Amino acid sequence: MASQLLPLELIDKCIGSKIWVIMRSDREFVGTLSGFDDYVNMVLENVTEFEQTPEGSRKNHLEQILLNGNNICMLVPGGEGPQ
Amino acid sequence: MADVATPKKTPTDFLNVILGQSVVVKLNSGIVYKGVLACLDGYMNIALEQTEEYANGQLKNKYGDAFIRGNNVLYISATE
Amino acid sequence: MADSTPVDVPAAPATATHSVEQPLDLVRLSLDENVYVKLRGDRELRGKLHAFDQHLNMVLGDVEENITNVELHPETKEEVVTTATRRVDMLFVRGDGVILWYKPIGSSGATVV
Repeated sequence: MASQLLPLELIDKCIGSKIWVIMRSDREFVGTLSGFDDYVNMVLENVTEFEQTPEGSRKNHLEQILLNGNNICMLVPGGEGPQ
Repeated sequence: MADVATPKKTPTDFLNVILGQSVVVKLNSGIVYKGVLACLDGYMNIALEQTEEYANGQLKNKYGDAFIRGNNVLYISATE
Repeated sequence: MADSTPVDVPAAPATATHSVEQPLDLVRLSLDENVYVKLRGDRELRGKLHAFDQHLNMVLGDVEENITNVELHPETKEEVVTTATRRVDMLFVRGDGVILWYKPIGSSGATVV
């Protein structure tokens, strides 16, 4: 019972390490988590954005972003992102 | 899991740093706005100056001042 | 239309913006001026801003609405872009449809590039 870990505590443990963010749309981000807030808006560094388009996967590199938590679907700690 | 190499930086910290700087704002629709971040609020409503609008990487429009409603914002990125 | 009060955010380097402290202040500065609004569903409005609230619900006067429609031609599979324009004397816009709100560069009456 004491081992119960709240969802946001898990994310807090990810600060400083890589995280894989999967959005509700066909969009994913991989980057180092700098911080987040109660809405799970996230500050990410060294980010790669993956976008699935009819023409295939598109990659985009970003130095530092504030990601709106509104459309986040899933978070994968230490995730290496889509293959 | 978290070795404390990077100092913790909350969204608020980040915003304080990039205020007044050049930023890239991407909307959920994929449209990108580049401009100077004049201000923003808790809804991620954004006021941009010297705004350029890009769709599919192509410059579509230039606006002096622009207001972006926060619910459309995917991310705000500091430009290198 | 020509009575443009100069907005206090010209080409000056924008580190500190004087009276714009909240994004909505930008909108407030443009009351009674011509503004452009980009809405979901490829709609664009241009008109005089009479009123707005914190949701960005707006009342616009003397409005021109532009609707862009892109369809794939059933046979050639080419994109067919059509635009429709109409005028409305007075219009209420619900804020949740708003994507972007902007002023044209320069005076309130100028057109955008």
